[in-house]
Amino acid sequence: MEEKKLIEFRNIVKSFDGQIVLKGVNLDIYENEFVTLLGPSGCGKTTLLRILGGFIDADEGKIIFKGEEINHKPPYKRELNTVFQKYALFPHLNVYENIAFGLKINKISKDVIDQKVMKMLKLIGLEGFEGKNITLLSGGQQQRVAIARALVNEPKVLLLDEPLAALDLKLRQEMQYELKRIQQEVGITFIFVTHDQEEALTMSDKIVVMKNGEIQQVGTPQEIYNEPANRYVANFIGESNIISGVMLEDYKVWFDDLVFDCVDFGFKKREQVDVVIRPEDIDIVGKEKGKMTGEVRSVLFKGVHYEVMVETIPGTQVTVNMQVIRSHDAVSEDGKEKISATNFYVDLEDVKSLDDKEVVARSNAQAWNPETDDYISISRIEFDVREEEGQYPVLFSTSNGTSIERTIFVVNQPFVSNEKANEAVMAFNFQTTAEEIRESQALDTDMKTWASAQAWKLSDESQSVDISVDYDFEPENVAEGVYRITFSTMGREFKIHTTDYIKEGQEVGLTFFPEDIHVMSRMVY
Amino acid sequence: MKKRKRPVLKALMALMIVFFYLPIIYMIVFSFNEGKSLTVFTGLSLRWYQHMLETGGMLEALYTTFSVAVIASFISTVVGTFTAIGLSKSKKLIRDLMEQVDNLPMMNPEIVTAIGLMLLFITFRVEKGYITMLLAHIAFCIPYVILSVMPKIRSLDPDLADAAMDLGATPWQALMKVIIPQIMPGIVSGGLIAFTMSVDDFIISYFVTGGGVKNLSIMVYTMSRRINPSINAASTLMIGIITIVLLIINVGPLFAAKRQKREKERKKILLPAALAAVCAAGCIVFVRFGDMQEKRPFEGEILHIYNWGEYTGENIIGDFEEDTGAKVILENYDSNEQMYIKVANGESYDILVPSDYMIQRLILEEYLQKLDHTKLTCMDKLTDAVKGLSYDPENAYSIPYFWGTVGIVYDKNKVDVESLEQEGFNIFLNEKYQGDIYLYDSERDSFMMALKALGYSMNTEDAKELDEAYEWLVRCVETMEPEIVTDEIIDNMAQGRRALGLMYSGDAAYVMAENENMGFYLPKTGTNLWSDAMVIPKNAKNPELAHAFINFASDYEGAYDNSSYVGYTSANQEVMDVLSGPGGDFEGISAYIPRTDCEFDEVFVYNEKTRKEISNMWSRVKIVASNANPSKH
Amino acid sequence: MKKFSQMAIPYIVWSILMLVLPMALIAFYSVTQPGNSIISFSVTLEHYVKFFTDADFLIILWRSLWIAFKTTIICLLIGYPVAYYISHCQERVQNILVFCITMPMWINMLVRTYAWIGLLSQDGLIQRLLKMLGLGNTELLYTEGAVLLGMVYNFIPFMILQINTTLCKMDDSLLEAAADLGADSIQAFGRVTLPLSIPGVVNGITLVFLPAVSSFFIPKLLGGGKYFLIGNVIENQFITVGEWNFGSAISMIIAVIMMLLMMCVHKAEARNQGGKEEA
Repeated sequence: MEEKKLIEFRNIVKSFDGQIVLKGVNLDIYENEFVTLLGPSGCGKTTLLRILGGFIDADEGKIIFKGEEINHKPPYKRELNTVFQKYALFPHLNVYENIAFGLKINKISKDVIDQKVMKMLKLIGLEGFEGKNITLLSGGQQQRVAIARALVNEPKVLLLDEPLAALDLKLRQEMQYELKRIQQEVGITFIFVTHDQEEALTMSDKIVVMKNGEIQQVGTPQEIYNEPANRYVANFIGESNIISGVMLEDYKVWFDDLVFDCVDFGFKKREQVDVVIRPEDIDIVGKEKGKMTGEVRSVLFKGVHYEVMVETIPGTQVTVNMQVIRSHDAVSEDGKEKISATNFYVDLEDVKSLDDKEVVARSNAQAWNPETDDYISISRIEFDVREEEGQYPVLFSTSNGTSIERTIFVVNQPFVSNEKANEAVMAFNFQTTAEEIRESQALDTDMKTWASAQAWKLSDESQSVDISVDYDFEPENVAEGVYRITFSTMGREFKIHTTDYIKEGQEVGLTFFPEDIHVMSRMVY
Repeated sequence: MKKRKRPVLKALMALMIVFFYLPIIYMIVFSFNEGKSLTVFTGLSLRWYQHMLETGGMLEALYTTFSVAVIASFISTVVGTFTAIGLSKSKKLIRDLMEQVDNLPMMNPEIVTAIGLMLLFITFRVEKGYITMLLAHIAFCIPYVILSVMPKIRSLDPDLADAAMDLGATPWQALMKVIIPQIMPGIVSGGLIAFTMSVDDFIISYFVTGGGVKNLSIMVYTMSRRINPSINAASTLMIGIITIVLLIINVGPLFAAKRQKREKERKKILLPAALAAVCAAGCIVFVRFGDMQEKRPFEGEILHIYNWGEYTGENIIGDFEEDTGAKVILENYDSNEQMYIKVANGESYDILVPSDYMIQRLILEEYLQKLDHTKLTCMDKLTDAVKGLSYDPENAYSIPYFWGTVGIVYDKNKVDVESLEQEGFNIFLNEKYQGDIYLYDSERDSFMMALKALGYSMNTEDAKELDEAYEWLVRCVETMEPEIVTDEIIDNMAQGRRALGLMYSGDAAYVMAENENMGFYLPKTGTNLWSDAMVIPKNAKNPELAHAFINFASDYEGAYDNSSYVGYTSANQEVMDVLSGPGGDFEGISAYIPRTDCEFDEVFVYNEKTRKEISNMWSRVKIVASNANPSKH
Repeated sequence: MKKFSQMAIPYIVWSILMLVLPMALIAFYSVTQPGNSIISFSVTLEHYVKFFTDADFLIILWRSLWIAFKTTIICLLIGYPVAYYISHCQERVQNILVFCITMPMWINMLVRTYAWIGLLSQDGLIQRLLKMLGLGNTELLYTEGAVLLGMVYNFIPFMILQINTTLCKMDDSLLEAAADLGADSIQAFGRVTLPLSIPGVVNGITLVFLPAVSSFFIPKLLGGGKYFLIGNVIENQFITVGEWNFGSAISMIIAVIMMLLMMCVHKAEARNQGGKEEA
């Protein structure tokens, strides 16, 4: 590849309505490269492309094209062409006329136009389509026409703005090869915008990963995949296990309470880092042979491989009592209304946020007509709770005066915290009836509600953590009594891609080579 | 891409806005003019608003305009919406067919639609009036609503209704709670289009209305011949109402948008629009019916008068209503023929005011009922010159209203009396006055002029003489570039815009009173001595009240009001004397007192055969005239 | 869905009664004699013969078409740039301008036309302005020019709104694509904007030409009594002459002519637009 700078972005800044979209982007693009701008929507990749195309002006910075600043050149004077996201084919022109548009504008003689258009049609494999109405073409065909329309002008650079987004999966893959082929055949620079990492990896010579108007990493697909610059890039490209760790010294990294050899160096001593291990780089071995051990939690068949989740560090858990009591409906005098509710526990801290809706949900209060089974709304909820441990009455009644009284227990519930896993779990004892359990459509979720079970990150209390529920009764046959319910978070899990089948629940060892560990600087948010 | 400034386009846009609003602003300004002129602003006054309120007809027209628009747009929005939903679920064949049918009123010239509807109502003997107007408006509004709702329905997810019903909604609930809210923007814009079309409509209303029901367009059309600043006042009122409605619809959501999300405001458009419309209609209803009063002899009864435009005094209708408690519906025509067609089509009026020959024809064709002379108190107040004329020798059917002659109004500075005396009506062929003359758009009087110029009787039945008269007129319109006008001649001659004009003596009296440079000349070869009289058609619904009106209009006060305001010679002897006498409005104005001593003067006699011939020939003369000099300047 | 499709039935009946039947009646009247009833009648083509064998009627028909044509051209020439300007304004300004153009349409056409009488008449505002500019004392009211002006005034909003709608609907990326392919703004307009706005132009032409041909109150108000158009002839036949059958025949003729013309325009558009998207 010839290393000749074609385009230079120098500190490009752009904002729309006061919102900064590009925060000073610097980027060099060389001749004959297939460059991909990759990032989620809103990262500024399309804006950068449109600034290059000349459709919008940068607020600050320079765009240099072949050594010449082109900031103020109108689009029609720039030596580059664009394939638009929805192609922007002219609906009033046919295939031939669309492709010939730019040539006609430049007053090229008719026979030359003819020749060039025909050559293009051949290149894109649409010979014989020249008279076709473009609105009647399929998405893939329109796509090719859009490419041909741009390429026929022999631009130095072709800009492609998510051109494959509108195509279905199969067609998209086909077009990926097609685009790469065309690029290699015409030998010009392609700048391709996409949010699809697979597309980027397949086609590019160089990938530019962007986030929030900043470039995160520039590199070949291999570099980007194997040596992501940070957690964000690693997450965005491919699947990965990302663990926070500490770099002890060069070639030594600590995570999950263990020290591992690695090939990375140049970090400060005891620097906080992120560690990436790609799922396909981990091997499952016997329990005793592994660098770390764990229990297989799930195995998913993915076609070419199994995706195995291995828990190396168990999650945090809390167990509460579920008291199954007899049905305790209150019936109105005429027997036309029934009302039910249960006692419940509430944490001292949550008393403040206890409102009618919350009380109804926690006590599972409901009223209905026993004959028709229609629900009746609970019109009045009376309770008086103080921020003090104790028992408080709560009265639910319907508009007809049918009512039931229950108790709110205000307790100072301790929570189970797990410093190592950076999380805490809390749940309350609760009461319910066998009938409720039997009729529940989603028992796990209901039990979480009844027990007010919650889990959160110790480092950030607003960030909640998923909990799973474990119990050992059969909901169908549950009888009155006390049952133990365990709420637990997931522990440290590793995702592993393997072609060998492994049984769930098995204790296994995990191993990997030092070069499979990739250490990245901790991202600063 | 950057939007560059385009100074040329910007200027054009500004000019366009000026072009759009100049006439409207001009009209608003002149509605506050003190004087009658539409060109010179003499001072600020509310006189024309007062006049508008007093005459009543204007407010009624406004009321009709808006009530028809509100009802028609409401009904057509509802019907159109449901139909559109229905059609979208119908078979393709039906859908395509209905699309074609819906296109009919949109792809047809409006006048064709109008005539079609008129023929429909006449064929099925539906009495033309408010209801027919409303039906017609609904008929042409619905297609626009469908057109505006259809695309919204097409863009809907076809499973929406199914999803709603799957979740337990009845079809009706699915419709009201899911589909209608989704297509609300289309419904609202459809409703607005319908409202606009209805308010804006003239042609269709003009052909399908009857019984004196007029909207503002018809009012303006029938009154536009003579300057009447009340039209400006009524129009300004209308602009005011429309502006308020529009501001509420358009600006309201703009403010709301700042606070609310887009979705919610949609619903809010309809409410203020409907409210504003209801308020507007309510105001008019209030003004209209606000003045109900105590019992009087004809309390609550209705009198339909079909009279010439600008042929009643300022106060006579109001006074009559005051005295009797009856309500007068006044409808205007501008030719005897126009009136005849309506009467012959069975439209019912209580009083008509046709001219001599037309009375003769109506009697002949048995459209009139004999007057009950025991109920008439006015016979001896009438001047002898108008009693017992040939068309109704016994005055069994008619009581004279106005009378007069037809002569030449001339600008004394441009035309000398000698040449008038020499040439008589032939002065209209004198090329010295080319482009400086007015002819009057009346087949009878035009042919009278030609026949008299040629020295024939104006009642001739001789085809050769009629042909000669036709040639005379053709020569006139081909060589003299005349304007063929109706009542606009009055104001134009009063301002001395042409040297010569053929004019009724009464109009001439008004012109001379306004402009002392104007003279009135009656050629010695004779002219038409005409009279217009009140008659009661056979199908009159309230002959009793009609008799009362005839008495009222012939009495001194009524006749004085009529004659002094309109300028025509009263049939009431006393009024005539007072007005032409010392201190009278028309003192010294020769045109006011008709000539009764020329042997060549004649009264028109009705003759079916010559009528048809003259009618055809005159419409031909006008076509020739319009083809001779279509673009004069 | 059966239930929903039934909702269209009342209107189908209504439209046959109120839209189709009237046309049939006009057709019926146009081929019968006065006094004929629906039960006993004799078909005659004499009314059509009368119209087509009379040079004067044909001249009026021609003139009506000609002035409608002129109106349409003027509306197009002025309306297009205005619509173009509006479509290139910011959305808020766009809404205001569209409102400014629609607003007069809410005020009755007759009223608006009537307002011109004062403006155009002798010693009126415009005459005085012209005099100040030394353009002499030309007559404005009751001329063909006045009729033309009245028609342009009344009908140009339709043209502007139609064109503006298509221009606004146009995808901006098409213009970007044109610029990208080397077209400067004039070329982009000629090769992309203009051809793509043809549907709007056609709709605009229809909405201007159609009422202009058959208008009769504008010539009557602003053209004086002597400026006859086909609409006036029809009105005359129905209102003053009373020859309904002949009037119906003229109505039929004008309806058919318009239908043919509109078909031609839409055909031409369809051919031009080869593969345009249905907007």
